[in-house]
Amino acid sequence: MKKKLISVLLSTAMLATALTGCGDSASTSSSSGGAAKDDSAVSASGYKGELEIMHYSTSEESQGNGGSDGFRTVLANWDAANPDITLTQNVLANAEYKTQIATLAAADDLPDVFLLQGMNTIEWAKQGLVYDLTADIESSPYYADYNTAYFTPFTTEGKIYGYPCLTGGTCTVVIYDKAMWKEAGYDTFPSTWAEVEKAAEYFNGKGITTVAFGNGGKWQANSDFMSTLGNRYTGPEWFSSLIAKSGASFEDPEFVAALAETQRLFTQTDIFNADYNAVTNEDAREYYIAGTAAAFIGGNWDESYIAATLKESDEAKWKNIGFAVLPQPADATKAPDSQNIGLGYAVAINPKLADDPAKLQAAIDLAEYITGPAFSNFVASNYALGGLTKVADVDLSKFDQITQDFYNWSYVDTSTCEIYDSYINSAVWDVFNTDLQSMMNGDKTPAEVAANTQAAYVANY
Amino acid sequence: MLKTIKPKGHVIFLYLLAPVAIFVFTVFIPLLTAFRYSFYEWKGGPQKTFIGLDNYLNLIEDSVFWQSFGHNIYLVIACIIGQIGIAFVLVLMINSKLVKFKTMHRTFGFFPSTISAVCIGLIWNMIYHYQYGIINWFLKLIGREDLVKVWLNESSLVMLLVSIPLIWQYIGYYMVIIISAISSIDTEIFESAEIDGANGIQRAIYIVLPLIKNTLLVCLTLCIAGNMKAFDNIYVMTHGGPGTDSMVMAMYGYQISFSQSNMGYGSCISIAIFVLSLLVIGGSQGILKFLTKEKEA
Amino acid sequence: MEKNLMVQKVRNGVLGVILNGILIIFSLTCIFPLVWMFYSSFKEKRAFNADIMGLPSEPTLVNYIRILTNSDYHLAESMWNSVRTTALSVFFIVLFGFIVGYILARVRFRGNRLLYMMFLMGMLIPIHSLLVPIYVVFNNTGMSNKWFTLLLPYVSFGLPLSIFLVEGYVKSIPIALEEAAAIDGSSFSRTLWTIILPMCKPILVTVAIIQVFGNWNEFSFALVLIKDVALQTVPLALTQFKGQFASDYPKQMAAMLITMSPIIVLYFAFSKEIIKGMVAGAVKG
Repeated sequence: MKKKLISVLLSTAMLATALTGCGDSASTSSSSGGAAKDDSAVSASGYKGELEIMHYSTSEESQGNGGSDGFRTVLANWDAANPDITLTQNVLANAEYKTQIATLAAADDLPDVFLLQGMNTIEWAKQGLVYDLTADIESSPYYADYNTAYFTPFTTEGKIYGYPCLTGGTCTVVIYDKAMWKEAGYDTFPSTWAEVEKAAEYFNGKGITTVAFGNGGKWQANSDFMSTLGNRYTGPEWFSSLIAKSGASFEDPEFVAALAETQRLFTQTDIFNADYNAVTNEDAREYYIAGTAAAFIGGNWDESYIAATLKESDEAKWKNIGFAVLPQPADATKAPDSQNIGLGYAVAINPKLADDPAKLQAAIDLAEYITGPAFSNFVASNYALGGLTKVADVDLSKFDQITQDFYNWSYVDTSTCEIYDSYINSAVWDVFNTDLQSMMNGDKTPAEVAANTQAAYVANY
Repeated sequence: MLKTIKPKGHVIFLYLLAPVAIFVFTVFIPLLTAFRYSFYEWKGGPQKTFIGLDNYLNLIEDSVFWQSFGHNIYLVIACIIGQIGIAFVLVLMINSKLVKFKTMHRTFGFFPSTISAVCIGLIWNMIYHYQYGIINWFLKLIGREDLVKVWLNESSLVMLLVSIPLIWQYIGYYMVIIISAISSIDTEIFESAEIDGANGIQRAIYIVLPLIKNTLLVCLTLCIAGNMKAFDNIYVMTHGGPGTDSMVMAMYGYQISFSQSNMGYGSCISIAIFVLSLLVIGGSQGILKFLTKEKEA
Repeated sequence: MEKNLMVQKVRNGVLGVILNGILIIFSLTCIFPLVWMFYSSFKEKRAFNADIMGLPSEPTLVNYIRILTNSDYHLAESMWNSVRTTALSVFFIVLFGFIVGYILARVRFRGNRLLYMMFLMGMLIPIHSLLVPIYVVFNNTGMSNKWFTLLLPYVSFGLPLSIFLVEGYVKSIPIALEEAAAIDGSSFSRTLWTIILPMCKPILVTVAIIQVFGNWNEFSFALVLIKDVALQTVPLALTQFKGQFASDYPKQMAAMLITMSPIIVLYFAFSKEIIKGMVAGAVKG
């Protein structure tokens, strides 16, 4: 046995050494095999050579996710239209992407083109990790069509550092089963929490969860709840002031009141599933799909999953999907029909490219193209979603009713507010998210959460 | 009797050169680099500002870090008893003449430690799940609905609940180590002990234990080292929650470095984990020495 | 006397049932995750999410088909990278671990304990927080993103365990054999390779087993140190099956099973030999 094992080890090792030449061969360029050529994707720079882009639209991500699918499609188009440029794509799933990009940023070794997360903008701009695109954006052929509000997370001190990319979708939508709520005596989802509490008595009596929510990942209560609920108390000026560091504080009474209401809703009412702090949004939405919950609060990614799943498995229930904004708390006074929407990532460019103007031009051309009308038209006509550029007269008629409803709810019928964690920075939100989870368990008071978050804000922002 | 071998110095040097060189390059240079970074304010870009001991001063007052340290100590103790203890008992059981399918037990036991933390976490999340979980299902079955809980959301229980999967997963790991160690014991010793009428437990304590003492010490070191830097399982199961009730040091350091891109402070935390682990291992060996001396006296 | 024998027999019988029972339950729980992954991989995501533990009601091969036809996944390439990296690193871990472990156990020289401490420290390093310094060091020396890049961390971080196990093992072997060899005029190297190596087989097999699985599954270093798609190992390639907001677990399991299958099959096929190797080292003192 010994001889056998060792010889196996040795021969494997030798074989491996002999063949190592293979592994060393140059990186594979992305093959855009047979992607349809798009006329508007024209090579502008005359640059010849390599260009690398790092992003997180994996093929898995693109299944059913309009933004990723569109991103991959336009990227392939651009690659096909620029045969002189070898486009190298480094694609990782989102979580791994974040780890690797943080490492590369720390080592000052970022790729040519990459996706910048909104809340990193200020720090990365300060560190000189992202190229100032202000002038290029203003001279972009698509400038007139840009939805300029989307640039704000990527703007600091008047300079813009990225082309917002992928699709803008809401982070806080109430998805409810119209039939179940009708039975409970509501034609539409209630507009106040007081009514939801009353409805909860009815649903609990039938053994059904009124609203399903999952905060197991800690970020959900921030992005999918507080960001909108806070706005109902503070109004948008407060958050603008917080971003601009012009006086607002997490300890302001309006924001503390929003926290207190959140704590009350989760710990003192029976609206939510008991395990809201232990399950993720992915688990919680299954409660809705299975019919053990009458409503669900989540983001647009949850909506697309729920709609696609029900359409396939339970058409009757699918037809009953309704959308609503977060109900208004009794003591809140602002923006009752608001929901938070935005683009969380932008295509950014490594400032080192400035040494090679032709390459820089190619990179800008790429960034412009993959966030431009080619992308917006693709996602509008295939998924009824919106991107950075406005698309006039989206023809909704070919989409099913639920898709149309969601489009109108997202882009037409509601007012918008900011997504908290597109701004400021993760050092603050990490503290906030962790404390918020404890608070929703009743282990911390709203005032403590506010004080800790404010301390992190003062120390890190 | 010869206790050591005395070959020529250059022979030893040549044998040690390659492994030590690789080890120093991959482990020590980065460690020293991290040590240097720990004196800087470094928000994850090209700019670093020297701030002396500020990171360390912050660390001393960082209650989350010390809470995490406590959790690591909890894990260390739970896993020394759970992993090494149970593994030792199981190996002795497998070696018993009464047991069948010895090879199967030896083969299967090792499996959980080879499966990724994501899958292990998923399975245990299902066991603890509030609505579909096996525990709550069982409690309802025996009519104790009052005990049904959202298990992983219980601040006081969560550390216990995350250490159970960890223990279970690595029992097999220590089993294979102990199995190979026991194989170095002369079988004649067993036989003569059996003739002397020593029972299983006596054999375990008076014969097996002293003979594989060295390997058990290695296991102990491994177990402490592994649990001082525990990360994956807990990350998958609770993300350190609820709040920070199951936060461990490595996860906190990772969160500081990557989620909060505070690389300077993150480096400081890694150095602290390293030093604290060294202290705990040193302490445990000191205690062991003290205890064994006591016995001899 | 006869009665005593009867009592003894009954007692052994009861004890046997208990021992076998405990061990069988333990082994079943150990194999369960694999079984669960196996049958779950025949479920669609929807069916899995609705009932995570249940058997598939409508078994389907769709996950496997989707994986094997996905052009982004480069299964063969990543598999080859993993096989090469794992084989070479385990080989070096076993080799170096054996040499260093033996020297530390038996040779007295200045710095012996210092070296021991140094390798001990290697086990205490939380690799997750050392990723950035390692990346910086590798990048500055031009060692990142090469076919051999991953060998360095895998060998280095595998060495301490290997060294300690060998050291502990060698210390429990009586030294008489080496004395005899020395008297016979055998050189250090000759003793090392012809006498000690065979005796250490059980522990070396154990080290190899632990390290094969560890290196095959390693993720963090591969993520940070490898940029080229062509150099990605299996766990990294697997992330192609993860989405930002939606995880398709059954598909991930199918992918995991496909990629783990070579080592699982090898492990099962050779389990008898491996176990024999692990326990066949009894040395006469």
